[in-house]
Amino acid sequence: MRVYEVFVKKDGRNEFRHVGALEAATDELALVLAREVYLRRAEGDRLWVVRRDHVVAAPGDFVDPNADKPHRHHDGAAVAARRMAARQSPS
Amino acid sequence: MTRSWATMEDFEAFLDDGGLVEADDPMPDAYRQAVFAFIEMHANSELMGGLTERDWIPKTPGLRHKMAVLAKTQDEIGHGHLLYMVAADLGVKTRVEMLEDLFAGRSRFHNVFHYRAVTWGDQVAIAFLVDAAALISQQAVFKNCSYGPYKRILRRIIAEEGFHMRLGEDRMLRIAEGTDRQRLMFQESLNRWFWPALQLFGPDSESDDVLLRWHIKSERNEVLRDRWVQRFVPMLQSYGFTIPAPDMRWDAVRHRWDVGSIDWEPLKRTLAQGGPDSSRRIREAADNWSRTAWVRAALSDNGAAANGAGNGSTSTGGS
Ligand SMILES: [Fe+2]
Ligand SMILES: [Fe+2]
Repeated sequence: MRVYEVFVKKDGRNEFRHVGALEAATDELALVLAREVYLRRAEGDRLWVVRRDHVVAAPGDFVDPNADKPHRHHDGAAVAARRMAARQSPS
Repeated sequence: MTRSWATMEDFEAFLDDGGLVEADDPMPDAYRQAVFAFIEMHANSELMGGLTERDWIPKTPGLRHKMAVLAKTQDEIGHGHLLYMVAADLGVKTRVEMLEDLFAGRSRFHNVFHYRAVTWGDQVAIAFLVDAAALISQQAVFKNCSYGPYKRILRRIIAEEGFHMRLGEDRMLRIAEGTDRQRLMFQESLNRWFWPALQLFGPDSESDDVLLRWHIKSERNEVLRDRWVQRFVPMLQSYGFTIPAPDMRWDAVRHRWDVGSIDWEPLKRTLAQGGPDSSRRIREAADNWSRTAWVRAALSDNGAAANGAGNGSTSTGGS
């Protein structure tokens, strides 16, 4: 038996979403079990199962550096304050 | 995100902050064991409930209700599948080990599945009172559960338990509007199932309950039990049924129903596999497990290979 991760997508609205896992002997049986366990009420119209040992997972701190990149964001606060000031003092 | 907790205090501060633990986090072993035991018992209960539900498929009156019982059976077995996987990922026992322990009578399942459903009225009482009790306690776990995989799987389970409860209420209404004989049948079922359903919540929570401290449960047992009482006592009375609690009274000051003192001995007996139907239920489940060995063998790696069900032949369907 192998462990599979299950991904489901609904319409064009959403990305594929990880919904859980299951154990099955073959890819085909994994799809059948995924349909019967995760999609009994058509919770999605597209289904992926991926063997857990085929998932390439980033090491724990791989993404951490990008948590500190303020230059990649702009909150617009300074511009908003100047606009507000301009509105309040008519020229 | 890498994270680890140097001490139990650090870990508990993380939980108190609303932190969610994931399966590959280096969680303290005591937490791992507590979460595992809780989910294992939930999984066992879904499976045992599903097997009883299955027994009623041929006996259910009318095609529409028969199909609904079929759907409910599939849901409960499906809940078992989901939960055994979440439990197995904690690395304490494999799925098969959990199942073997259950069928050998070595692990626990909820008290309500230690009783026998005798009449159709019992099935209605179970779908209404027991599924509602399960729903109330699952909602309380879901609300604040610190173990991420369990919390996410509960969202799906809760949606389906709502379907079971509505089915139960629909059937109960039909019986309430039915003949005297039907009403009497349901009253007798209520007499049998009221207390087991109420005891599903367990005795009052201990002050040092780790399930509460680690945010596995978010509310105390007595709070959940009271929520169920305040909701179902008036509802059953409004349909003209009698609550089988002789000491029950209306507390006019607190504006609440008080069911009186609760005898916890029956609950304790079920937890020791000594309920009225425990041994038959466990034996039936174990027989079912051995009778279906050929299916598991056919679906195993060797069996599937022998049947030519190879891998890689199925496309993913694109994105
Ligand atoms: Fe369920
Ligand atoms: Fe249910």
